[in-house]
Amino acid sequence: MTRLFRPTVIPLLALLVLPALPGCATAPDLRDAEARAEYERINDPIEPFNRAIFALNRAIDKALIRPLATLYRDLVPQAVRDAIGNVLANLGTPVVLANDVLQGEPERAKRTLARFVVNSTVGMGGIADVAAEMGVPRHTEDFGQTLAVWGVGEGPYLVLPLIGPSNPRDAVGLVADFFTSPLNWYAVNTGQDWITFAHTGTTALDSRTRHMKALDEVEQTSLDYYAAIRSLYRQRRQDEIRNGQGGSRMPAPGLTELKRHLPGGMMTELSAAEPPPYPLTEQNAATGLTP
Amino acid sequence: MIRRRSLFAALWGGLAVLALAVAPPRPALASPELEKGATAFIESLSKQAVDSLTDAKVGRAERIGRFRKMFTDSFAVEAIGRWLLGQHWRKATDAEKKEYLALFEDMMVASYVDRFAEYAGTTLRITRAVTENDKHATVSSEVQRPGSSQPVRVDWRVGAGDAGFKIVDVVIEGTSMSITMRSDFSSVINQKGGQISGLLDVMREKTASLKQEAARQ
Repeated sequence: MTRLFRPTVIPLLALLVLPALPGCATAPDLRDAEARAEYERINDPIEPFNRAIFALNRAIDKALIRPLATLYRDLVPQAVRDAIGNVLANLGTPVVLANDVLQGEPERAKRTLARFVVNSTVGMGGIADVAAEMGVPRHTEDFGQTLAVWGVGEGPYLVLPLIGPSNPRDAVGLVADFFTSPLNWYAVNTGQDWITFAHTGTTALDSRTRHMKALDEVEQTSLDYYAAIRSLYRQRRQDEIRNGQGGSRMPAPGLTELKRHLPGGMMTELSAAEPPPYPLTEQNAATGLTP
Repeated sequence: MIRRRSLFAALWGGLAVLALAVAPPRPALASPELEKGATAFIESLSKQAVDSLTDAKVGRAERIGRFRKMFTDSFAVEAIGRWLLGQHWRKATDAEKKEYLALFEDMMVASYVDRFAEYAGTTLRITRAVTENDKHATVSSEVQRPGSSQPVRVDWRVGAGDAGFKIVDVVIEGTSMSITMRSDFSSVINQKGGQISGLLDVMREKTASLKQEAARQ
């Protein structure tokens, strides 16, 4: 196990510790209750530092990762890309299974196990997602989500070099999932680090290609790309933590009390979760629609 | 006869109790009319959108006009625009509010009008409708795009008013467009020292660059 620490993990751990050092967003005037509430809701105390890492990631993306993903998209047929995506997903099922179990979800664990067995055999090592065709669709889990289910709060927003949007909870989850993956055990025990690098590289390329359109769209339509991504990351994680159930059922006006009982870390963006009221009444028009 | 009627009364009473016991707890009393109306509204809107906006024969100017009309007819544009500003709305002057709402509409049209051309062949399947409160319902749907293996989960949050149903938010795979834009706008305002005029400048630039980009294509 100690070998794991040497080649790949040390840089990763360094990245996790690094952002904690410099830079602090200016805390708002504490007498202004609204400004303070906003500051707490955004929960990004090291924003200047995060923005710097975000800019760095964007530069690396523009120079290297996006062009590679574009080539991959244009040169490799969709069917082959789908097959590669399926293999990667299948390789990741043991980690999903472990987290299904840790979250106390026997039904989902059973489905993950069934998918792994069927796709690894009939699906030829995961090339074909036969299980999905049989009505057992893919779902993902990770240790960051497991920690959330256990009640661990997300903590302040964090942008990790190369990895992107995160928070302390999800960063810990990332490391834990790395150690859980049998593929990484195998790579370490047989001294074949290239497996880990190849797997990480392919996963990154696959993921970047699949998200290309959506990310382009956000970049094109947002005024502050950084702020839009920060909000989207948190919302997406909340949705994943709740397994897509009730993501739309955000607390309605009058049910604000409920929010206090949500699992850890779900408060930040949900504070603004009441939908825009329609029709506009005299009352909510006059009060300026305070959330 | 009397006995038979009381038997029926008991039966209905029993069924009602059963229904109450079985019904899942909900944050608001479910309103079947609201849910049905909201579902029909989204269904007809999606059909109308695909029919009139994906037609390749329609010229660009005409398509922009159609999209703007559809957007202002079916979205609660003013309510959303105000809500996006949150606490800052109150601090804005009347002139700023007016310009902001106009810019917001322009920016949304410029952002999304060309996206619809790509939606040809898209199908929308409504999965359920849920009452949120006496005036709001959420219609959940799965949007299937051609050439994509997995459908996208899209929830439409709809409000009912005198002018019929209007969309107040679109939630894609658990991410709300309203919440995202609100964070986006508020971040810009904060960077501009809390000034709405700063946001208006950025919105003006964004809309101009979106239009320029579209004209180049």
